[in-house]
Amino acid sequence: MSLRTVEPRRYVVYVAFLLILAFFAATLHDDGFLSQTNLLNIVRQTTPVTVMAVAVVFVLSAGEIDLSLGSVVALSALVTAYVMQSQSAFLAVAAGLGVGLGVGVVNGLFVTLLRLPSFLVTLATMGLVAGLGRSITNLESVAVENQDFTNLFGSGNVGPIPGLAFWALGAVALGQLAFRHRRFGAHVVATGDDGVAARASGIRVDRVRFTVLLVSGLAAALAGILYTGRLQGASYTLGAQDLLTVIAAVVIGGTRLFGGEGSIIGALVGSLIMGTLANGLILLGLSSSQQLISQGALLLLAISLTLREPRGETP
Amino acid sequence: MFALAAASGSLSCTSDKEATSPNVAIKASKTLGTTHGPTGQKATPTSALELTSGEAAEVRAGHHTAALAWHESSDFTTAVTAGARDEFKKLGIQVVAETSANFDAAKQKSDVETIEAKKPSVLLTLPVDRVVTASAYKDAARRGTKIVLLSEVPQGMEYGRDYVNLVTDDLFQMGKRAADALAAAVGDRGKVGYFFHDAHHYVTNERDRAFLETITVNHPTVEVGARVGIGDPNQAQDEANGVLVENPDLSGVYVTFSQPPGEGVLAALRANGNARTKIVSLDLDEPLALDMAKGGHTFALIADKPYDLGRAMAISAAYGLLGKKAPAFVVGPAMTVTKSNLVQGYRESLHRNPPASVMNALGK
Amino acid sequence: MIPATTPVVRVERVRKEFRAVLAVDAVTLEVNPGEIVALVGDNGAGKSTVVKCIAGVHPPTAGRILLDGQPVHFANPLDARSHGIEVVFQDLALAKAQPVYMNMFLGRELVKGPLRLLDRASMAAETKRLLAELDVRIDSPQQTIRDLSGGQRQGVAIARAMHWARRLVLMDEPTAALGVGETARVEEQIRRMRDRGRAILLVSHSLDQVFRLADRICVLRRGRQVGSRRTSEATGDEIVAMITGLR
Repeated sequence: MSLRTVEPRRYVVYVAFLLILAFFAATLHDDGFLSQTNLLNIVRQTTPVTVMAVAVVFVLSAGEIDLSLGSVVALSALVTAYVMQSQSAFLAVAAGLGVGLGVGVVNGLFVTLLRLPSFLVTLATMGLVAGLGRSITNLESVAVENQDFTNLFGSGNVGPIPGLAFWALGAVALGQLAFRHRRFGAHVVATGDDGVAARASGIRVDRVRFTVLLVSGLAAALAGILYTGRLQGASYTLGAQDLLTVIAAVVIGGTRLFGGEGSIIGALVGSLIMGTLANGLILLGLSSSQQLISQGALLLLAISLTLREPRGETP
Repeated sequence: MFALAAASGSLSCTSDKEATSPNVAIKASKTLGTTHGPTGQKATPTSALELTSGEAAEVRAGHHTAALAWHESSDFTTAVTAGARDEFKKLGIQVVAETSANFDAAKQKSDVETIEAKKPSVLLTLPVDRVVTASAYKDAARRGTKIVLLSEVPQGMEYGRDYVNLVTDDLFQMGKRAADALAAAVGDRGKVGYFFHDAHHYVTNERDRAFLETITVNHPTVEVGARVGIGDPNQAQDEANGVLVENPDLSGVYVTFSQPPGEGVLAALRANGNARTKIVSLDLDEPLALDMAKGGHTFALIADKPYDLGRAMAISAAYGLLGKKAPAFVVGPAMTVTKSNLVQGYRESLHRNPPASVMNALGK
Repeated sequence: MIPATTPVVRVERVRKEFRAVLAVDAVTLEVNPGEIVALVGDNGAGKSTVVKCIAGVHPPTAGRILLDGQPVHFANPLDARSHGIEVVFQDLALAKAQPVYMNMFLGRELVKGPLRLLDRASMAAETKRLLAELDVRIDSPQQTIRDLSGGQRQGVAIARAMHWARRLVLMDEPTAALGVGETARVEEQIRRMRDRGRAILLVSHSLDQVFRLADRICVLRRGRQVGSRRTSEATGDEIVAMITGLR
């Protein structure tokens, strides 16, 4: 017995991804698009976004949003790199994750205890954390020389497969388990669907909201640490452009922007779509402005295909 | 209400008796130093780069490809790209990819990684950051791509082994010209403000230092009344506000670069209803150029020549392809742009006409 | 005939004040197992407030609530639920993007295995059985709530309350938004619930429905109880008179 109704809307994102791959494969077959290196590069380039996208599926499905993602990426990257100058990599990573945890807790408390909308709370923490990121090293970047760290967190490979692939897969597997196969996931979507109904059904909606914001902060911190490993250093500019990419990936993957429904695998595919587009448009030889315009247009197309509201929305 | 009236008053500039004419001549003073590379390399002018017809033919025969990986998308990069493309065309080098990192180090790494899939023979690039972009370029260098750097050498990259050479502006000249221009703007007397870039950034540090040295040694009758370090360029307006209030008698200010700090200082002056303080800054920029065209605060903008830099980068790349040793550190000339040569300034520097607003203000 | 058993729920002289407003004043009523009691009255009569007190949403200001003869104090709705009281809300409290079977077990999902993974198969099977038992006409428990009609959704909400309620089911205007056919089916479902021994307290504006379904009718007016009648012994006019106060 299949436990899901077949909704064609869900599958558009997979079809879209295949179409995009096919298009670039056809137009760029001599230009290295399908080379193993390039395809694996796309995985490397999309992993930090994928990690955050998994968390954001939970956040959006619960009816919340976290705008502070990008700022947390930068601050946790800088803290990790900075601590590693005098301490072990282990402590440095713990410190970096601690930043994400801390911001997540702050966001969570303001939303659940003070009952403020997450949009406004995370808008504020976004600015606050960005400011901290700029002042902690006075805009200076910090290099990381610890090979063990960089191999584990972004620059290493297992044979031909980039270590980042394992991080992405790990995040997706963990996310899928929690979202589709644990009570927590069911409670998250119920909270986002109808908070009052969820509460009446005995779901601790405050706890749900707090937890998703916590997870979001942690995921952004992990993304920051992965960037640091990949670049062998940290800079306050990291993650600045990621918020929109992450939300786009999650939304074209089938997660509703206003809550109640989500897809982890869809978010993974959405992230791959964003990365493949960026990659392919560069390889097509388009100028920077042409790339931006095309990305915008294609994103609009993808959204129109995956986001049309289903029929039958009668009260 | 008062500030608005004062600001509109300051734009016309005709009512202020102490205003310096925008056409006052700038006397070039003695050059006190030369531009050195980040590790002390001696400078070679861009004009010294050239290829014989035989060399050019050899490059053409190679059917090489090139890629451009910029830090941003702006007038500057557009002009550099134009200079590079025109030179590449002569050398039969096809440009296969172009990227802009939007100041994001991670994006630049991805850009360079992706570009390498096309295995370009040559890569022209302006690294976003000294520290965190090195890994991106090292991989490309290892693959044999000839890299020519603009402005910045990423940590750990070696001349000859990892990159062909470093091209940048004649930084000392830019700072020196700014000093001469500011001295002329204030009639060689009075107090000026020195808004420098308070961060470890080779390009801006060199220019600021050159300005300070020239103004103190060559123009002793001009006193540097206030020294303001600008850490975050986006905060310049706020910092300027404070300084201008504390030092109401500044006849002129030097601002380390025009966008955004120069614009911020201009905004602060207007907000304070200050009609007399002159601005000299570095790099052409529309709001400041417009102010200058209208005879406002901006007296001079010291411009580099990005088109020429692009050309020099392309030729340096050719050196790399030919296995010819390129000078390690190449500098392009600077020019002083005032209202009188504003149109010419845009054409020589950016290879385009000034923006429509500026043209209109000049009555063209 | 009044059954000689302890009532499942007895609301005894319950009074509820909200700051300056007196919503309910000294209301006493009881519901017995296998009985449908209708709570009727005009707008503002206090029906919803009484239901919410029993459901644990508001504690009464005075008076007490007894379950199976024992006084109880509910700290919150969950507390009431744990005592076997289920509510079918006017807006149904269903997660519209989720399938029927997930809604059936919302907040009380079945898990299996050492990892405590959701046991969707069992939940779906159990749901199918329940829906069949109550003759709720839904093709499959996998259908999403969004794709169901109003009557079908109502059927799911009632089946859910039916499944989980050990003692009492509270229903607030269960067929208010439904058409004639769907109303008939839902009323059948409610009867089936009663026949299985559940105690049901029904709030309804429709006197026709009240007379069709209820065993007893309790009338509130302006927060006070103005009378209680066995349906078989009452007439429509009489009830209307009690509701409007024109006696």
